Amino acid sequence: MKKTVPPKFFLRFFRWFCHPSLHVYIEGDLLELYQERVEKAGKGKADWRFAIDVLLLFRPSIIKPLEGYHRLNHYGMFKHYFKVCWRNLVQNKTYSLLNISGLAIGMTCSILILLWVQHESSYDKFHTSADKIYRLTCDVRDFKTAVSPAGMAEGLQEEIPEIIASTRLSQPMKTLFEVNDQKFEEQQVFFADSNFLEMFSFKLLKGNAKTALARPDGLLITASIAKKYFGDEDALGKTIKVDNEEIFTVTGILAAIPANSHLQFNILLPMIRAAQTERDLIDKSWENFGYYSYLQVIENSISTPEAQTFLEQKIDQIWASHVTTFEVNFQLQPLTDIHLHSDLQIDVPGHGNAQYVSSFSLIALVILLVACINFMNLATARYSRRAKEVGLRKVVGAYRSQLIGQFLSESSIISFLSLLIAIGIIYLVLPVFNDISGKELSLELLEGKPLIGLISIALITGLLSGSYPALLLSGFKPILVLKGKMRLANSNLLFRNSLVVVQFSLSLLLLIGTAVVYNQLNFIKNKNLGFKQENLLYIPITGDLFSKREALKTALQQHSATSNFSIISELPTNLSSGSVNVGWEGKDPDAQVVFPHISVDENFEEVFKIELISGRGFSRDLQTDANNYMVNEKAVEIMGMNVNDAVGQYFKNDDTEGVIIGIVKDFNYKPLQYAIEPMLMRWNRGGGNLVVRTPSGNTEEAITILEKIHQNLNPAYPFTYHFLDKDLENQYQGEQQMGMLFNIFAILALFISCLGLYGLSAFMSEQRTKEIGIRKVLGANIFGLVNLLSKDFFRLTVIAFLLAAPLSWYLMNEWLQSFAYHTTLSWWVFALAGMIILFITLLTVSSQVLKTVFMNPVDSLKSE
Amino acid sequence: MKKIRLGEFEEVVMLTVGVLYNEAYGVSIKKEIETRLSRKVSVGALQSALKRLEQKGYLQSRAGDTSQERAGRPKLYFEITAYGKRVLEYTRSTRNELWDAIPKIALDLKLSS
Repeated sequence: MKKTVPPKFFLRFFRWFCHPSLHVYIEGDLLELYQERVEKAGKGKADWRFAIDVLLLFRPSIIKPLEGYHRLNHYGMFKHYFKVCWRNLVQNKTYSLLNISGLAIGMTCSILILLWVQHESSYDKFHTSADKIYRLTCDVRDFKTAVSPAGMAEGLQEEIPEIIASTRLSQPMKTLFEVNDQKFEEQQVFFADSNFLEMFSFKLLKGNAKTALARPDGLLITASIAKKYFGDEDALGKTIKVDNEEIFTVTGILAAIPANSHLQFNILLPMIRAAQTERDLIDKSWENFGYYSYLQVIENSISTPEAQTFLEQKIDQIWASHVTTFEVNFQLQPLTDIHLHSDLQIDVPGHGNAQYVSSFSLIALVILLVACINFMNLATARYSRRAKEVGLRKVVGAYRSQLIGQFLSESSIISFLSLLIAIGIIYLVLPVFNDISGKELSLELLEGKPLIGLISIALITGLLSGSYPALLLSGFKPILVLKGKMRLANSNLLFRNSLVVVQFSLSLLLLIGTAVVYNQLNFIKNKNLGFKQENLLYIPITGDLFSKREALKTALQQHSATSNFSIISELPTNLSSGSVNVGWEGKDPDAQVVFPHISVDENFEEVFKIELISGRGFSRDLQTDANNYMVNEKAVEIMGMNVNDAVGQYFKNDDTEGVIIGIVKDFNYKPLQYAIEPMLMRWNRGGGNLVVRTPSGNTEEAITILEKIHQNLNPAYPFTYHFLDKDLENQYQGEQQMGMLFNIFAILALFISCLGLYGLSAFMSEQRTKEIGIRKVLGANIFGLVNLLSKDFFRLTVIAFLLAAPLSWYLMNEWLQSFAYHTTLSWWVFALAGMIILFITLLTVSSQVLKTVFMNPVDSLKSE
Repeated sequence: MKKIRLGEFEEVVMLTVGVLYNEAYGVSIKKEIETRLSRKVSVGALQSALKRLEQKGYLQSRAGDTSQERAGRPKLYFEITAYGKRVLEYTRSTRNELWDAIPKIALDLKLSS
């Protein structure tokens, strides 16, 4: 009988995958069935069924497992590490909790800070040509400003071939907008050149970027403004009434302005509209500094600092050929530097501070370091318990590198566990953090970059904190360890102690920093500005109010609550105008001084309670006072006069010649970062703000009266009022926010250090339980024992203090120098911080120490 | 007896192994099930069930003699272990308990309809 054979391919396939222990038996079954089928149904059908059977046998329980050279990784070993690590964690619950919570809190802080830092340094990078755009800024002596003359942008573009485009933006305005009788006063309104959207990559949802600002009656609004005025209707092509008379058509709708743009605007009006009336724009002035100019240069034309200096000098020369009366130095400020590196006056609001970014990055690092040190400390203390394990592993043949691998993977597992917890915490606290920092940050885990960042943080933390324990442990000599001859607890005492010192120094640094920041903020709040800021209420003079000022004054005088008022051009919170065009008898022709100026009326000193040192204030009755001036003390000093003879001296500003009629005591009219400069007060010919000093307690009444008067005289405009002291406070909002964050992070760093200290003291006390028992039996008293156990920790704290105090003194002094007016660093800040740390150390350590000390010696000595 | 999970197919396989007594190997079990229950059984499904049952300790196997029609490949005979027997009994008794617990009326209605 000729044997029929089943299909070779399937038989071979079966032999290849089948588990060797089953192989022959199943193959037998298959062959038996095959023969039977051949006889019954013929070869074709039998072959076919054979193939199906083989394929159906290809299932996990029949396939042979991977073995021998098939094993391509150390999965088994990793599994083992993981298991050992997990058992250790579960076995020592307290220590695991201390470790993981410390790391998790540390990571939370660092990740939050890094999110913030990342946001701060991402400003304006979204523009496609961000690296080619520069803002033209300048300084006149110490007066540095972000604005430049109206004619320069275009003029420079014509004369310098490297500049291929230029666009201008006006200073931000408040303007009244009206649609279907809905009136709102909008902030952050700018005039912009028609090519604004070509240079900057703000996204336009509707409309044409090229033509949107090209017609004098077109305007651009953001999507949120469109929604506010037009609801869900299509706003494009609709009309808006501006300032009660002019009709504009919406020619484009902008997508929400990215939060990381230094320019934040709601509405853009066409510059050509402003050019119909503004003198500076019509004349293409090179002298009046009032516009933000942005220049786009050819790629790589400013690749070196020298090239930039060269270009800046060229700009200076071109400017000097237009204006000869005074000197100005121009700078090209890279677009991406504007947010963080601006300390310019008359700048758009809302700038960040590079100093804060770098100090917070440092804090992030410090906190993570503190958490890592915690881990190392606890690990080295604890690992003496695992010495036997290490010894045994070595005996059965583990290499040192494998042991290092084990401990590093263990610490990495812990740090990834902490990362997971940290991410959870971040999702919980992010809204609070955003509230405090005034940002809108979010953690997008699904995006590649943040995820990689997080994983690398965990990995670095794991490796860093695992490094020392791993090196230490893997170096044990197996014989000594297994014989129990190694006194492990003390072998690395020095290292552990220095870690504790570093940790506490860092915490102290943050704590002292917090105290100083708090002091400075307090100082600012309580600083005598030279005028009384309380109970000052102001309303902007809008619409018809100025032309009806006589009626306004009469109305105000009728009520005692509002009779103390003054109309001034600008508020002395952040004065933004200054003039170089001043002259006096005996002025050095080369001397260049910028005089910030303010226009005031006869009630100015009275309302603001500014002290008049010499002379008199303005008077309505004297016609000549319109050309006269008042100055501050600083101005007298700069002009080289003295307070007694300055009154009556000749003084001129622009072309208005007059005499000095009065001298006021210096008062602060800018944020306290700036020192007081010479100041000029002129007679107010225009509007500005109506400032009312209300008798204390009568504020409500004054507001009602003001509203009524406003309603009568200027019904077309909505009534708004503000408080001067609120404005002053808001100026330091950035500092306040930073102070608050600093506070929180300092406390957290301290908390993490305490977690570590707690663990360490618990471990030390536990190790010395027997010793304490014996001492007690031999008659040691409680006080002595407490002293014995905790004096080491005190010593460490004191050393930490000695290290941290000078360092923090130096750093905080640096920070204070950035304020023209600042507190002095007083010794009690340091003393207080030191006391707090000492107290906290005592509290942390004592809980464990006392437990050990009060233990009944019978219990601690009975075993063994 | 804790945690006994016997699937329907597993139960059928075990019972068949019992039926065949000393003659239970791959092909005979397959044929027995196919004829008695008139359902198709693939070699793969059967073999993996057998292996699983052996791992659980319900069955034990021994290698048998070789034969001509198997091209010299030995047969692998299966028999029920004592533990396996108890498992079968347990399964049966639980089924019976469930049967007994069904109220008469429910069954009558079902049957009469």
